[in-house]
Amino acid sequence: MLGPLSSGDNPLNMLLNPVKRRSIMVLMTLLMGVQGTLAGAEAGRLSDAEIARRFQDRRREVLDSSVAAVNAADLAKGGYFDVAACLQRGERVDAALARFAKITAPMPTENMFWMFPMVSVMMAGDRNLDARARARIAELWRTYWPSRGDTENHWAMYYSTLYLAAQSYPGAGPEKWFNGKSSAENMAEARSYLEHWISITTSIGQGEYDSPNYLEEYVVALCLLSGWADDPGLKHRAHMLLDYMIYDYAVESLEGYYGGAHSRVYPKQIIAPGQTPAMALGWLLFGFGERQANGTVQLLALSGYAPPPILERIARDRDRPYVERELKRTRWRMRNAGPESIAIGDKRTVPVYKYSYVDHDFILGSTQGGLLQPIQQQTWSLIWRTGLPATKAANTFFGLQPYSSPVEGTMYFGGDWDTLTDMIARSKRDYDTPDKLPGGSPFEQVFQQGAALVALYDIPEGTRFPLVTVFFSRDLNNTDEDASGWIFAQGGPAYLAYRPFAAGEWKPNDWTGLFRSGDAGWVGPGFSEWGTGHRCYVSGALRNGYVVQVAPARNFPSYEAFKSAVRALPLKFATSPAPEATFTTLDGTVLHVKYGAPPQVNKRPVDFSAWPLFESPFGHAKRGSHQLEIVHRGERLLLDFQRNASEQSALPAQP
Amino acid sequence: MIRRLSFFLLLAAGLRAAPEPVSTHRFYAAVGMTKAQKNTSTPLDSGIYLRGEDGKWTLFGPRILGVTSLAMSPADSQVLLLASADGIVRTNDGGKSWRKVTGWEVADVRSIVFDPRDPRKVYAATTWGPLRSEDGGDTWALAEKGLTKLYCQTIVADTARPGRVLLGTEDGVYLSTNRAASWRRARFPTASVLRLAQSAADPKLVAAVTQGHGAWLSRDAGRSWSATDLSTATANLYALALSPHDAAQMAIGGWGAGVRVSADGGQNWSDRTAGLPARNIFVLAFDPDAKGRLWASTFEEGTFYSDDLGATWHDGGLYGAYASDFVFLPARR
Repeated sequence: MLGPLSSGDNPLNMLLNPVKRRSIMVLMTLLMGVQGTLAGAEAGRLSDAEIARRFQDRRREVLDSSVAAVNAADLAKGGYFDVAACLQRGERVDAALARFAKITAPMPTENMFWMFPMVSVMMAGDRNLDARARARIAELWRTYWPSRGDTENHWAMYYSTLYLAAQSYPGAGPEKWFNGKSSAENMAEARSYLEHWISITTSIGQGEYDSPNYLEEYVVALCLLSGWADDPGLKHRAHMLLDYMIYDYAVESLEGYYGGAHSRVYPKQIIAPGQTPAMALGWLLFGFGERQANGTVQLLALSGYAPPPILERIARDRDRPYVERELKRTRWRMRNAGPESIAIGDKRTVPVYKYSYVDHDFILGSTQGGLLQPIQQQTWSLIWRTGLPATKAANTFFGLQPYSSPVEGTMYFGGDWDTLTDMIARSKRDYDTPDKLPGGSPFEQVFQQGAALVALYDIPEGTRFPLVTVFFSRDLNNTDEDASGWIFAQGGPAYLAYRPFAAGEWKPNDWTGLFRSGDAGWVGPGFSEWGTGHRCYVSGALRNGYVVQVAPARNFPSYEAFKSAVRALPLKFATSPAPEATFTTLDGTVLHVKYGAPPQVNKRPVDFSAWPLFESPFGHAKRGSHQLEIVHRGERLLLDFQRNASEQSALPAQP
Repeated sequence: MIRRLSFFLLLAAGLRAAPEPVSTHRFYAAVGMTKAQKNTSTPLDSGIYLRGEDGKWTLFGPRILGVTSLAMSPADSQVLLLASADGIVRTNDGGKSWRKVTGWEVADVRSIVFDPRDPRKVYAATTWGPLRSEDGGDTWALAEKGLTKLYCQTIVADTARPGRVLLGTEDGVYLSTNRAASWRRARFPTASVLRLAQSAADPKLVAAVTQGHGAWLSRDAGRSWSATDLSTATANLYALALSPHDAAQMAIGGWGAGVRVSADGGQNWSDRTAGLPARNIFVLAFDPDAKGRLWASTFEEGTFYSDDLGATWHDGGLYGAYASDFVFLPARR
């Protein structure tokens, strides 16, 4: 147990003492929390014009930097977006064209990840492309067959860029295109998919939802269309969906950190939530954190998109805690769909019920558990406000059952039973390891109410990794294994209490050494910076569970007071015959959760059938509505995909 | 990069071989991935490979995601349909130019076959459900009527009975007698069917291999089935071949199951894996131009052939390939 900060400590000694240094970090974080409050309140008073001006300043900074990356004296430097920036602004045009010739000389290999940078140059740089560049572009579209890929983000990027590329060659026949379709046919196919995708997303929910890693791919697709689609209808729908997705991020973020449950997150970003593309976008969109090198940030700046000011106000407004409920869906299941699956047209999926408790100082968010997404699901997480730089922070706490099985692979992918796990692990090296950190499990059920969460596990004998892992970040302070069975810890200005139902043992994260050894491939670089110093509480009990209770430190006179309050909470649990718990939370709510049965709140079963597409003080959307109403104090923004119209208005003053 | 280069260099392997028979067929291998590939969504070497008279394999057609099979129109040898994860791609000029004929709705096509009696009718199995075309493969529609589950990866158009189609699904074998307009379940166990094959020597003989439920034979063209080779009754069997020359000769293979051969119509089976570098077999095929020649594709350890029903094996090239299908198509029609 780490001791509290004593008023008699010498500041210099404290700086030299790592234990005391942590205590200073806590103080810094608390101070940052106060500053954050001021920043939020300040932003709430900012005029639309001021928010827009600040955004444009950041945008200009990005584009200035992009242009500076292209240098006639060194044509080995500068990427597609840098070239696009030069051509868009008409600066360093000769160098940009020379660099473009160099990077487009070899045949591409990156499929849809080649398509969007190429289209970015075509769109943003159109007026300054020379004949040579235009000829090479046309030749590549004729000869290189980019794959459509196999994920929702792949398809969004593929079809948005195919649409725009085809738009650039009106009337071009099939001989001009890699796939033997004319421009009109390619545009029609792309348009049809994009409309379908928009419709599903705004009525049933997104499949690859709320990913700190993959948010950027959707931003790519949508900012390209909103920036450059000639068709005003599609252009507007793309703009609205971009607003929609950025709202989805803003309402579950804390100073740019994407909180709660995620469809997909990588091993680095699950530990280091500040090093995500979402965080990089949070800087450009709302001014959070520091500018991080990111191609999507460049593209968004090039596209001319500017977020509606209401989104920044929502992203910053953490004055009062709130609950955000969202409905999403799993990726389409092609087989092993399970009895819980539902049919949407000729595809099967499972509803995903998201719940996030957003406090000024932390976000605790979750889904119901299960195999909701392939490979990289994060079923629940806690993040907290931190004073550390985003690139240094590991402000997170979460748990999982490290599941790996062909059942999961074949559910979502078209490969073969015996090779799919290998195929997945070739690119996601941690997938088939017992110390993995992202991943869903069919043997996990989670329920959250407010700032409390109960997770239950019923793991069959013979399961590949029969473990329950809970991640304790190096950023947690004052971790205390209490005699009561609770484990207490402090994450910045948040207190957390964790009560495992079965005993476990402490292990270092990455206990198999996959990352330390450098064998993790492309998901592992920099591990010594972001991946060390953490540990996991790991239990091998097959029937298991835990309770997590979080509270803001500001609500208690001391850490000890928090502990005392939690110790006094009524908790009954059993792991046999099925895991089950009844827990009274800090706010007096009684949760009863039993594995395989609907959870109850104050003896009433939770009605998931009424779960909204979005519901919080800041947004409302009914299932199937194709509408999202975004509100903040006196403002209202309606994104109406039925009428393909967005409305901005002032609301009547609220009582 | 080195590994990728090695794949191409080794395409040429298998040059030393038994005397090549006079070919009346062209031999294609559908390769979905290779050992060099690190990501299932970004193809490097995925495509159809054509084996030349000199034993060299060369890429035939576009390199696109998840290529799984190839079919030729019975009316026009210049018309080929390629099945892939990106959809169905057609050539009308023997492979000089290609056109994707499906829209965004079609993905993950695992098997494709023309109706041998009616070239306008074409059928495809996809992991999202079976498809049928009534215009020779130009347009496609989902053909799900009567199915309880849509996942399927193998389809056979009966060569003897017009309009009859067999479909291997997640839920066993289904039959259609009206050109895939509707389906009814065959008397087959609840098992995911990984490959179906009909004997060219005896069209009433149909075989199926499954995931975890072994191999099955039907002597009445798919209406009723009985288990065969009980030693692989719980194996995941991916590969299946029936000799076009002798209905009694058949071969099955799978993950860890190696190559198993029967020369007496499935009454007795022998393990014929010795001489192969691995026991993980994904594709088997009898060569229609060389009686008794059996081809086998291992998981990324190369392709091999045997002229003595698997007693001895010869290197057939394609080292590193993760093949989905071997297709012999008439050289001229």
